[in-house]
Amino acid sequence: MARMKFYCDAERCIECNGCVTACKNENEVPWGVNRRRVVTIKDGEPGERSLSVACMHCSDAPCAAVCPVDCFYTTDDGIVLHDKDTCIGCGYCFYACPFGAPQFPSSVAFASRGKMDKCTFCAGGPEETHSADEFTKYGSNRIAEGKLPLCAEMCSTKALLAGDADVLSDIYRKRVINRGASVLNWGVQYKKAGIDG
Amino acid sequence: MFEQLVDGIFWNIALIVFFVGVTWRLITVLVLRSKRIDYSVARNSGVSGAIMANIRGFYPRKEVSGRIRLQVIAGYMFHLGFFVVLFFAAPHVKFIAQNITGFTYMTIPYWGFIVASEIAFAGLILLWLHRLLNPVTRLISKRSDHIATILVFVVMLTGCMALGEASSELRVLHRFSVELLMVYFPFSALMHAFMFIPSRAFTGVLLGRRGVNV
Amino acid sequence: MTGIKDKKSARMRKAVYCCVLSLLFVLAAPLIPYVIDAHAEDVTSSKANKPVALQHPGINLWNDVRQRNEVTQGSSQVKGVDSGILINKTGEDWRRFRMEMLMPYGAYFMAAIVTAIVLFFLLRGKLRLPGGRSGELVCRFTLNQRTAHWFAVGIFWLLGITGLILLYGRFVLIPLLGADGFSITASACKEMHNLIGPLFLLAVLALLVLYIKDNFFNRDDITWITKGGGMFGGHVSAARFNAGEKTWFWLVMIFGFLLCITGLILDFSVFGQGREIMALSHVIHGISALILITVSFGHIYLGTIGVEGTLEGMTTGYVDANWAKSHHDLWYEEMSATAEEQQGIKQSVASSSTKPASSPAGD
Repeated sequence: MARMKFYCDAERCIECNGCVTACKNENEVPWGVNRRRVVTIKDGEPGERSLSVACMHCSDAPCAAVCPVDCFYTTDDGIVLHDKDTCIGCGYCFYACPFGAPQFPSSVAFASRGKMDKCTFCAGGPEETHSADEFTKYGSNRIAEGKLPLCAEMCSTKALLAGDADVLSDIYRKRVINRGASVLNWGVQYKKAGIDG
Repeated sequence: MFEQLVDGIFWNIALIVFFVGVTWRLITVLVLRSKRIDYSVARNSGVSGAIMANIRGFYPRKEVSGRIRLQVIAGYMFHLGFFVVLFFAAPHVKFIAQNITGFTYMTIPYWGFIVASEIAFAGLILLWLHRLLNPVTRLISKRSDHIATILVFVVMLTGCMALGEASSELRVLHRFSVELLMVYFPFSALMHAFMFIPSRAFTGVLLGRRGVNV
Repeated sequence: MTGIKDKKSARMRKAVYCCVLSLLFVLAAPLIPYVIDAHAEDVTSSKANKPVALQHPGINLWNDVRQRNEVTQGSSQVKGVDSGILINKTGEDWRRFRMEMLMPYGAYFMAAIVTAIVLFFLLRGKLRLPGGRSGELVCRFTLNQRTAHWFAVGIFWLLGITGLILLYGRFVLIPLLGADGFSITASACKEMHNLIGPLFLLAVLALLVLYIKDNFFNRDDITWITKGGGMFGGHVSAARFNAGEKTWFWLVMIFGFLLCITGLILDFSVFGQGREIMALSHVIHGISALILITVSFGHIYLGTIGVEGTLEGMTTGYVDANWAKSHHDLWYEEMSATAEEQQGIKQSVASSSTKPASSPAGD
């Protein structure tokens, strides 16, 4: 079975935030919730790089391990989803997740957190596929339509890739080799290391 | 099944018992009052005495204020907190508009709702503990007093449990406890919510006519 | 004609060539340093040992975002607390702590203390009053002290039970209630815990104010501790509170305030505190809570079935004089001394009581 993954190529990401917008639009997420975000490090300095990050759909997901009500499950495609009917909004997944993927509807003072929301790999949720319930709770279900997540599909530089992990790593390997040398001053140039593209 | 009962027939029964019971008890009190004829010459206006007694009841007398400080503070905490939550919390305003009045009015922000309910909780627990621990209040407390306190506490606790607005079960539980409270209301000391004005007025009239400064 | 024309056109061609060449030079000029640089690098790399350790070109980037060397704060158009941090390392530590330490060791700790108490009870049984009841009552706790105590008890157990359900419910209650049933329970517990929580601060403050007076350690406590509190027989004298009770008081104060502070940090997540602070708060919160819950088992045992005549001190406010003599003899002596003194004053005044003797109930 395929194992779904995201991959973001830091050499290609231009911080256009198109993926963020696409995600918000496709899934109609509530105000204050951003399932995906683009983080830029060394902004305005040499070596500036951007990465788009959302739920990484970990194989041994920390969020699922700490959830007190056990509302997470992994699909056959390796997509980590959660059941909002079971979720109590305790925020433990938010503490455990390294990537800051779990989101909570914007809270006011003293408000307890609402139900957690996170990237679903555009795979909906436990509700009936393509039902109105599924859409309001989890957003669009593109996987059921045989499509990949919209963020990656519309990425203008194809920095953000989504799909089967094996295919992605093949694509990335080819890219690295074809690039020949890193445009970064950081790494060792591949060409000089004896690898010719 | 239970949800339909609680939202339907139970709610109607509770509403009828509550309004009929309260009206009936208030009428009986007023009828009782009208039967009494005071033949003495009024030294002062009974009406002003009634008003004064009603105002006077809101703060403790100097002689006992030190002794009953906890009751006064906790009493105000509970009653103010409870009424703010009851009438101005957004879910309650919505419920009242949907089921009783048909219109909405101002609500307090969520944090105000939470603070008010915390104050009410603290006040209620302190008052109940005082009732249980003070030998005098323990002696004069009847079973109905404890039942009323427990019912109010259960209503508040189930309300607090349903705060997540996550499942209809918790909402139904809260509503059911409210219905129990409403049915119990006219038959218990909870009637003080309406009775305090006529009862203070009654004393005020009696004392006012005799020229006693209350 | 044609010659002149040729000459002219040749000059023209030359001029064009010059222009093109100079243009090319100008365009290429910025590249010269790169060419030199590349050449120099080529020379050095050809001199250096040929097999170079192959590194991922983004190695530094990944080291940075993984916070390997130092905390790297990025920036994001998505505004929010910590949204600029790509990978938060503390999440994993927190998960390890909660799943592999707090839960198992907390359970062992509680089970061990409960077992110890049960064994102790089976071995020693209820500690009876020596010489039975005297019928003489001594005031031990004022109304305010008792109210504060039971207020704290109520809040503590509401929070304790809801907290334990949230901690262990997944493994204990889901098999019993099912996932949906437990979700409702957990949601109710979370809301109760969050709403009632801040009241615990009020309870701890009240306990602090009302009980601190007699809870400072002194020399007598050392003998009490060295003799094991009379747990293994023998009599140890104690003042109003013995060293064990004083320890419990200070445990409640220290861990109670820690619980309140960390609880407020976790409860009100709107003041911009990040995940690291919240994870740390949760660690402190969990440890403090389990310590207090566990020690409270001992406190409850000693206060109820462990020692005869103790509970009534907290319910009615009065204890039997024999109880006071046997458990808190120094306090009893002090009390009777002041009582005699007051008696003396009263007799010397020898007038009708202008002021009624202050009863503990009226406090």
